[in-house]
Amino acid sequence: MKRLITLVVNKKACEIAVEPNRTVAQVLREDLGLLGTKIGCGMGDCGACTVLLDGRPVNSCLVLAVQVNGREIETIEGVSNGKDLHPVQKAFVEHGAIQCGFCTPGMVLSAKTLLEKNSSPSEPEIRKALSGNLCRCTGYQKIVEAVRQAAEMMKK
Amino acid sequence: MHLLPRFDYYEPRDVAEACKLLSQFKASAKVIAGGTDILVNMKKGLIAPEYLVGIGKIPGISEIEPVDGGVSIGSNLIIEKLVEFDLIKKKFAMLSKAASVLGSPLVRNRATIGGNIVNARPAADLPPALIAMGARVKLKSRRQEREISLDRFFKGPGVTVIRPGEVLTQIVIDGPPPFTGGDYIKLMHRRSLEIAIVAVASRITLDGPDGIVTDAKIILSSVAPRAVHAVRAEKALIGEKPTEKLFEHAAKIASNECRPIDDIRGSARYRCDMVEVLAKRTLRGAFVEAREQ
Repeated sequence: MKRLITLVVNKKACEIAVEPNRTVAQVLREDLGLLGTKIGCGMGDCGACTVLLDGRPVNSCLVLAVQVNGREIETIEGVSNGKDLHPVQKAFVEHGAIQCGFCTPGMVLSAKTLLEKNSSPSEPEIRKALSGNLCRCTGYQKIVEAVRQAAEMMKK
Repeated sequence: MHLLPRFDYYEPRDVAEACKLLSQFKASAKVIAGGTDILVNMKKGLIAPEYLVGIGKIPGISEIEPVDGGVSIGSNLIIEKLVEFDLIKKKFAMLSKAASVLGSPLVRNRATIGGNIVNARPAADLPPALIAMGARVKLKSRRQEREISLDRFFKGPGVTVIRPGEVLTQIVIDGPPPFTGGDYIKLMHRRSLEIAIVAVASRITLDGPDGIVTDAKIILSSVAPRAVHAVRAEKALIGEKPTEKLFEHAAKIASNECRPIDDIRGSARYRCDMVEVLAKRTLRGAFVEAREQ
């Protein structure tokens, strides 16, 4: 039986009727049209489906939509202000930290969360914060460099 | 894409209501907290419960509270908070260390301490540290509440003493005695999203900064169907003066006390050898911490 849930997605209140067996990742993509959230493995291993749940990055493929009733979600679509890219996004573009782009939304959200807590992370801290997000293209080096540059940009 | 099978979802407002639902539905219902284990198993088709009982909205089971020098931890507390909380970092550092190597940052923001316990996986990260610290769990049912030592909680892979209709609500750890220290080391192929090849948690208590060992715990994980004590190694430490030689001796005994299996992560022989290395290193770490207390 469908349940009516209310939640805040990218600062906008939504009311949706969902079957209990649908995940947050599915509802974001299929009901709300927010296709920036990718579904990779669907098992919580790859991090492509990362969203912020009450400010914490989580695998949205392993969260039931009914579990986020009354809570707040930020997806990659909510990261920029609508005009300019977020410094993390800008640094990813400038450093070539994006190749196929499938992991990028998750990487950006995990990196942004790190930089909001720790304004000058060390390389091991960056790698640890991104360790739930897998990238099969870049070899991670350019991603780490981009996060470093984003940290500098965010301090200014 | 992996889809979840159909089920009905309930979200009780308190523990009593959760117990009522669980005793009503019996084996056809499962509790869901963070969901990082159960939803994976459901997507793989390993289990297909008809009902999921979400405990996320129950008040009073997601907090860390200091109690008489010790701590009471709600079962629905996410793993990342064990890493973040000062009280855990300072007084129960071994638990914080074990929590910091569980899954990935994304998993740690959803997975709960209770889930890591009740799933009873032989390589689970928190039970070895919790057992070494003498943790107890509170189990509530409709009619009674019981408190049981985590030492007696696990029966085998996926099997615990929890009865149908019972919910794990709190994990209680007493404050460590003076001059007590602990350490947990998990050996893994990668640094993240990994299941331990072998893990060891050790804790020792001294009768003074330069005193003898008055209590010792060495818990071996991923080398048996559940986390086990290296009983003879623990005995070998008690009453002795802590020296490098003693730790080496105890570690050697510990490596003879486990009966691991060969599997994809490592051979039995390798695991036994690594038990010795990790037992020695965790004892050293525990000793350093014990002297500082």
